[in-house]
Amino acid sequence: MSIQFKSILELKSMLNSKTISSSELIEETFKLTKDLKGLNCFVTMNEDSAKQKAKQIDQGKYKNNSYLTGIPLGQKDLFCTEGLRTTCASKILSNFIPPYSATVVKKLEDSGSITIGKTNMDEFAMGSSNETSFYGNVHNPWKRNYVPGGSSGGSAAAVAAGIVPASTGTDTGGSIRQPAAHCGITGMKPTYGKVSRWGMVAFASSLDQAGPLARSAEDCAIMLNEMSGHDLKDTTSLDVEHTDLLRSINNPIKGIKIGIVKEFNLNDLDSKIQERFQDSKKLFEKLGAKFIKISLQNISASVPTYYSIAPAECSSNLSRFDGVKFGHRSKNSKDLNDLYIQSRSEGFGDEVKRRILIGTYALSAGYYDAYYKKAQQVRRLIKNDFESAFQTVDLIMTPTSPNTAFEFDSKGAQNPVELYLEDLFTISSNLAGLPAISIPHGMVDDLPVGLQLIGNFLREDKILNAAHVFQKNSEFHLAKPSLEDF
Amino acid sequence: MDKKTVTTICYLARLKIDKEKAQKIENDLEAIIELISKLQNIDTSNVEPLYNPLEKTALKHNDVIDSDNRKEKFLDNAPSSNEDYFLVPRVME
Repeated sequence: MSIQFKSILELKSMLNSKTISSSELIEETFKLTKDLKGLNCFVTMNEDSAKQKAKQIDQGKYKNNSYLTGIPLGQKDLFCTEGLRTTCASKILSNFIPPYSATVVKKLEDSGSITIGKTNMDEFAMGSSNETSFYGNVHNPWKRNYVPGGSSGGSAAAVAAGIVPASTGTDTGGSIRQPAAHCGITGMKPTYGKVSRWGMVAFASSLDQAGPLARSAEDCAIMLNEMSGHDLKDTTSLDVEHTDLLRSINNPIKGIKIGIVKEFNLNDLDSKIQERFQDSKKLFEKLGAKFIKISLQNISASVPTYYSIAPAECSSNLSRFDGVKFGHRSKNSKDLNDLYIQSRSEGFGDEVKRRILIGTYALSAGYYDAYYKKAQQVRRLIKNDFESAFQTVDLIMTPTSPNTAFEFDSKGAQNPVELYLEDLFTISSNLAGLPAISIPHGMVDDLPVGLQLIGNFLREDKILNAAHVFQKNSEFHLAKPSLEDF
Repeated sequence: MDKKTVTTICYLARLKIDKEKAQKIENDLEAIIELISKLQNIDTSNVEPLYNPLEKTALKHNDVIDSDNRKEKFLDNAPSSNEDYFLVPRVME
């Protein structure tokens, strides 16, 4: 029986009924990775260790039996994995073997899941199209030479192509939700602090958050249950009780109040994307949801706010890559200062350099107040707007992305700002630290379209409940790409 | 964003830009600065900056050793090291 396109729960049921052994499942998974190599969704494979762990599970040597025991997963290549190369899709980390694993990876592996490899991404998670990876573009499984979205493009493509039922991603401004939308799968960015950032290579520390990409909201709940939790190693980790997200996932959603943001002028979008949005609104209404117009007065400032804060934090975080303690070191340096300059200049790609330079500028003397501090003030206004809105609604619904996936090299080449504007709907939840999901809700011109639900602080349960009920009453999340071009 | 400013921030960031890419980078930075300058129109008087969505203070750890000495493992990743140190080009003559 084929394992391709199976959900976590379906694979678990096959394992439990002994229709397939853990070793057979892993063998089949690696066969898929080889058959679909053309997608370029993996940077490094973990074949020997994965097969060894599967064997141990089959032999009963593995004690835990959770939903994830024996389940193959992809790990985004910016989570440190002990003994397994972690590149962040950058030349500067092309030889980096972490001495420890990220908390997220450890938690998932302790629950019995099997890491099959490290997924491709935009370099250091900086990009919305997966075109900035040193290891080449990832193709969208629905259409060759189209972007899978980014930055977690490899994670999204691997799930969409049915290679793995789920993978990890990180989301700084939409990097889980936007590729999930472009690849027709479900992806969730949790509340800031719900998932530990320890061992996750930092891009913008006050915005980064890890989360799952999977075939359904239910599978995202399973993943998030294992990924969440307080971690003393991350000082921004939340010390709160993490409720079982599966418990309330089937609750009826009759009476749920969903906000529609009046400042987002959806009439500017492609008419077919508007139609999908209206169709989903009708489905939610049929399921008992009530729609309310809300105002997020400062929402249009979220893109400039983000592109001031994120590069500033990035320029600070990426100063650690200097060719001294780990990573690429230039062979062409004259002295120590030159060693830093040459190693960094050879090791980083253009988009990373652009963001470091903007961040350095925004933080430099004379500009700090005008750009960085100003952006953090506007950020508070944006957060306040959300707080007011959530006094009247349970969730906020928007498209995930203003467009479907686009062709390689078609956006941002002349002006990077063109690509930055793609993040319009996703960025604000990172600025405010709020949880949000993208679920597939139909196709436009043979490419998937994503719908975003944003929730209040730590209300992942409400988001997953609404998304799951939507998916139980529709079949958009079951659509599969033909993959005939790969 | 003129050439001199770009040269200064490149130096501060310890980055070198190839000559043939310099003009493109300058234009890109100009476009991004134009984008983020839109914030100047928003009234933020008396608004406290929000540096982190949680606004919590950093947790203090108990001062106990909780991991093994992994010196070798860390030095293994260094481009150049001896038994105890990371090695870099000579700084003093």
